[in-house]
Amino acid sequence: MKAVILDGIILGLGFGLLGVGMTLVYGLGGVLNLAYGEFAVLAAIVVAQAISGGMPTVLAAVLGILAAATAGVLLDLSLMRPVYRQSTGHRVLLGLMLTLGLAFVIEGVLTWRDPLGGLTISIGGKPISILGVPIAVGSVWAALITLAVGVVLLVFFAATTFGRGVRSVIQDELGARLVGISPSLVRTVIFGLSGALAGLVAVTQSMTSPLTVSGGFNLTVYALIVSVVGGLGSVAGAFLAGILLGIVDDVSARYIGSYISDIVLLGAAALTILVRPRGLFGS
Amino acid sequence: MLLEVSTLAAGYLGQTVVQGVNLEVSPGEVVAIIGSNGAGKTTLMRAIAGLLRPMAGRVSLAGRDMTRWPAHRVAGAGVAYVPAERHLFPAMTVKTNLVLGAYPHRPQREALELVFEIFPALKPRLQQRAGTLSGGQQQMVAVGRALVAQPRLLMLDEPSTGLAPKLAKDAFEALGSLKGRGMTLLVAEQQVPLALSVADRGYVLENGRITLEGTPHELDRNPEVRRAYLGVA
Repeated sequence: MKAVILDGIILGLGFGLLGVGMTLVYGLGGVLNLAYGEFAVLAAIVVAQAISGGMPTVLAAVLGILAAATAGVLLDLSLMRPVYRQSTGHRVLLGLMLTLGLAFVIEGVLTWRDPLGGLTISIGGKPISILGVPIAVGSVWAALITLAVGVVLLVFFAATTFGRGVRSVIQDELGARLVGISPSLVRTVIFGLSGALAGLVAVTQSMTSPLTVSGGFNLTVYALIVSVVGGLGSVAGAFLAGILLGIVDDVSARYIGSYISDIVLLGAAALTILVRPRGLFGS
Repeated sequence: MLLEVSTLAAGYLGQTVVQGVNLEVSPGEVVAIIGSNGAGKTTLMRAIAGLLRPMAGRVSLAGRDMTRWPAHRVAGAGVAYVPAERHLFPAMTVKTNLVLGAYPHRPQREALELVFEIFPALKPRLQQRAGTLSGGQQQMVAVGRALVAQPRLLMLDEPSTGLAPKLAKDAFEALGSLKGRGMTLLVAEQQVPLALSVADRGYVLENGRITLEGTPHELDRNPEVRRAYLGVA
């Protein structure tokens, strides 16, 4: 049981990081980016190609993250322009349609160019014992990187001027404009950050299990679930929700069956909407 | 001239709400826009603040044309607008709300001291979430947030909205002490006696047009104003 929970926490940290990139974009104006998981896959393919081209792994990982960040910025500057001109209801629908379309395009192109593509970063070494449970070295690294980035993100949003500016747009966009903040500039930056986080998740996930060309949809779904449970727009909420859901996922996969765990997670999201619509930390 | 509005027209969805508006505010002056509900005061204020793109006319600040500037740029140029609905950041503390007023800079100590001098009630509530404050306190935070920006022009839309008569009077007294410190103010208000108590000059806005302009004394004596806004037969 201890091993299952520890595994779940490590899995959940990754969920949390994944959720942050989805929840911030949603909080900043109601767009659920359904191409989000494809950004991770894009990064994975870039990293894999760069490594097979002889680039050192760390450099390749940075390149992949930059590629996904660029994809995020380009999405904001192109398809999102007409979306943010719409009022709230139409904005949500148009945003869903356009990002879903983009998801199909990215997945289609990647599958066509590199049908067997995928990323596995194997880190050798004997498993490390944590609380008496042996954990693979790759998982330990993935968890440490995720934790470190999570702390940086929390501090960034709590204590920096730009971070507070982002939160102000989430809480009251008009109020933010009145203090001199450009919501559209904030959105562009956060779309870039969101892409970078998707890319980072691709890298950390591939340290524990392969990420393949067809894995994007699942990542999008996980990110959505984490966003809903954590509270839309909340970084701390995303991490807490991610860890909780990671444990739930691992426990249900172990004791019931892996086929059930996705359904359990979706159930948790649905329950959150019914019982506490603003999520764990939402405002 | 600090603010100069000429032949301004503005509205929503192609419908003109205000038109042909000419208005001026000199540095250090307190100017009131009075008029009943629906006269177009808020539309006019929003058009000046950049929240609404004017359909015609010109808005300039110290001679610089800012007619088509977005709101965040107008704010950055030194025009702080406090809308009637306040638009605070409800989940943030009073302190963070005030600090954000200076975005993208750190707030100046003198600016914060001024806020606490005008609104001493905010000091013990710095760590409270803005969304949990009473209406009067939220109004103080909204004005305080605008003051932290050390604006060249402070615009307030209906500062008396949602406040009990005593609190509305307090709010205008606070504006009076800002005036005493040389702040330039443009205030839209339908409670005419309150507005005229603090203003150097006033404009009467009716059905989207300026119909009268004058000192509080002149407006006070005008039979039209007395009948329409001061409840005097």
